[in-house]
Amino acid sequence: MARFAVRRLAGAAVVMFAISLIVFAIFNVIPSSDPAVSLAGKNATPALIAGITEEWGLDESLPRQYVTMMEKIFGGDLISYEGREDVDERILEGVPATFSLCIGAAAIWMFFGILFGYLSAVRSGGLLDRALTIVAVTGISIPVFWLAAIFLNYLTYKTQLFPSGTYVPFTESPFEWASHLFLPWVTLAITYIGIYSRVLRSNMLDAMKEDYVRTARAKGLSERHVMTRHVLRNSLAPIVTLFGLDFGVLLGGAIVVEGVFNLDGIGLYTFESLINQDLPPVMAVVIFGAFFIVLFNALVDIAYAYLDPRVKLGESAQ
Amino acid sequence: MSASLLSVRDLRVGFATEGGLVQAVDGASFELAAGEVLAIVGESGSGKSVTAGTIMGLTRGANTRIDGSVALDGRELLDADEEELRRIRGARIAMIFQDPMTSFNPVYRIGAQVVEAIRAHRPQVGREEARGRAVELLGVVGIPDPERRVDRYPHEFSGGMRQRAMIAMALALEPEILIADEPTTALDVTIQAQILELLREINRERGLATILITHDLGVVAEIADRVLVMHEGRIVERGSLDDVFYAPRDDYTRKLLGAVVRLDRAGPLRPARSSAPLLEVTDLVKHFPVRKGLLFDREVDRVRAVDGVSFSVAPGETLGLVGESGSGKSTLARAVLQLLAPTSGSVRFEGREIAGFSRRQMQPLRAEMQLIFQDPYASLNPRRRIGQIVGEPLRLHDRASGAELRSQVGELLERVGLAPEHYHRFPHEFSGGQRQRIGIARALALRPKLIVADEPVSALDVSIRAQILALLSELQEEFGLTYVFVAHDIGVVRQVSDRIAVMHEGKIVEQGPADQVCERPADPYTQALLAAVPVPDPRESRARRSSSAS
Repeated sequence: MARFAVRRLAGAAVVMFAISLIVFAIFNVIPSSDPAVSLAGKNATPALIAGITEEWGLDESLPRQYVTMMEKIFGGDLISYEGREDVDERILEGVPATFSLCIGAAAIWMFFGILFGYLSAVRSGGLLDRALTIVAVTGISIPVFWLAAIFLNYLTYKTQLFPSGTYVPFTESPFEWASHLFLPWVTLAITYIGIYSRVLRSNMLDAMKEDYVRTARAKGLSERHVMTRHVLRNSLAPIVTLFGLDFGVLLGGAIVVEGVFNLDGIGLYTFESLINQDLPPVMAVVIFGAFFIVLFNALVDIAYAYLDPRVKLGESAQ
Repeated sequence: MSASLLSVRDLRVGFATEGGLVQAVDGASFELAAGEVLAIVGESGSGKSVTAGTIMGLTRGANTRIDGSVALDGRELLDADEEELRRIRGARIAMIFQDPMTSFNPVYRIGAQVVEAIRAHRPQVGREEARGRAVELLGVVGIPDPERRVDRYPHEFSGGMRQRAMIAMALALEPEILIADEPTTALDVTIQAQILELLREINRERGLATILITHDLGVVAEIADRVLVMHEGRIVERGSLDDVFYAPRDDYTRKLLGAVVRLDRAGPLRPARSSAPLLEVTDLVKHFPVRKGLLFDREVDRVRAVDGVSFSVAPGETLGLVGESGSGKSTLARAVLQLLAPTSGSVRFEGREIAGFSRRQMQPLRAEMQLIFQDPYASLNPRRRIGQIVGEPLRLHDRASGAELRSQVGELLERVGLAPEHYHRFPHEFSGGQRQRIGIARALALRPKLIVADEPVSALDVSIRAQILALLSELQEEFGLTYVFVAHDIGVVRQVSDRIAVMHEGKIVEQGPADQVCERPADPYTQALLAAVPVPDPRESRARRSSSAS
């Protein structure tokens, strides 16, 4: 187990390195124009461009340029020339909002995704299953920006049930924190609830045909016990995989939801930087987002070992 | 005989399908007395497993129609509610299943699954106490070192150990009836013999009434007191073990008994061949490396799947290759055909060395040597028509096309006992036996010299098995084919082989003429293998048991 974790994390480090090379290539090697001009932003002066060329070592060899770029991103002295601010600092400032949004939404979608999927599977073919199918498909189909706009219009502006977006730190007021995040949480969770419940339902229907489920019934377990301990438990692995991917992606910034609800997180920062063609933050956010995706992928693989003891960790007998 | 414990009266079970009601069980009636072993024998689709499942209430469902009566100690079970049935399952009637590989939940420890069964019926029993009971039961069924094994996962158990653990779980609540649905079908014969012995012992010592469901008359002869024969949902024959074996009244029973492959029934004797061998294998080795390491793998061990094997096959001869699972026989078959690259050794085909040939070098030779697979369901592409499947080798080797291809495929289909009209059908429209015929037609298409058949009949019912074996030997005569016949069932192998090679742990431990290997085995493993084969003859199996007991 420990050996597998080490191997998997080492693999993740290799993937991260590859991603950093690709990012480097996209920003510094592939463009036909002078990278210094792009980095400088919209209102560049010749002096600024010359300074950037100097500072980023853009007239030196490619490996040298790569090292300089990584030093800047990871060393904390990456500057947005457009906004005249420290990029890494801005990203760190965005972390509480983005993480609060993602963790809360994930808790909601995992709870309801699993609950709806379970009920659908157990009552498969019945009225409840059909109703939940409609709910799930509707949830998957609704565009997030539209739903967010509807929520804001009816629940915030017209009825004033919930405060409008903006992030209130948890340490300031846990109640305000939660009430400000409630609508963003629900908005973000709804699509995932639909997807997760459908995936779980079909996994459970497959698992119900397994021989060990027949064994469980034959030994006199109650139907609920059979469904939770044997069917549900054995159907969770694909849900964990999905969760690792989705959650990793969102931690890099939930652009649409942060944008609509004006939550000052990483997603909103990414969005603004893209609009302003401000490349240094985009560079950093891509690396930051990739880090979480790669990390959660590795964690999922490690979690698999717990979910299914047959996964022979780190051993390949071909 | 004591009063009946379980009484089944005029049981009818039907399943509503899109094609109408399928009557799986059609008026079955029988009694089970305390302490007896009742065997229900039948081929696939006879309704024997549905009967067993219905007794337990496991076949209930929206599309199932169940009539008649199933009474346990006078209490009707067919109209019992779910909770009452739940209390009976496991506690009064326990069940074990065919495939011990898939019948345990892979994510829980063996002990936890036994504990779960105990606590489902006796919630007052604490976890520790239940675990202690699980350890004790694993000991009873002969699992060595139960204190440690109780915390292992199912995949860490061998097939035989899993079936023992399954039996331990079934015994946990001291039920009155054990239903064993094909309990040894998925096991090797030496393991099968041990499991049958265990079931016999439990029946004798605990007086546990047992319903044994099986397709294997050899298993029946080993263990049953009374026998029911089922065919197409009806009980066509019933009686004591000896009555059914020695004085069958029903035609179907007679047919079933006639189709049984018997170890003491040899194949037709043919003159020994002296010509140059078609296939000559010398010191063939196939090892699989086992790799391990923190960051980078290095080889720490090797699985010696085939470990220095030599044999030769003359043209027109059949060599039987027998072995249990894991003996390396399938790996050997694939290494001979260069479907797996051998680690070392020599394979000569018509005198020409082919070991280590690349795919491209093998390409023209593929026409000369063909493979027939075990599973007629998995080895035919379900989305292609029969004509395409059988004609594919002809097309790939540019032997025929267009109308010529179709007429050749038609002939092939006729030759293996199918009709040319089957050309446009899909595999799912055929039964297992017919599918195996399709596989044979495909192998024959290029008029090969050598056919390697890997367990060609082990997925088939006994009566179908006899037909396929007959077809294979007809084709051998007609086309002068040479067979390497790979199987775990030494009875089947003897029936078709001129010579037999016995494989064990990657090596051939004994080879020689079929009669000699079967009647005067020299190697201890061959002797053990032969002794484990159940004899479909109750008198003989009793004699054998009493002689081994004394």
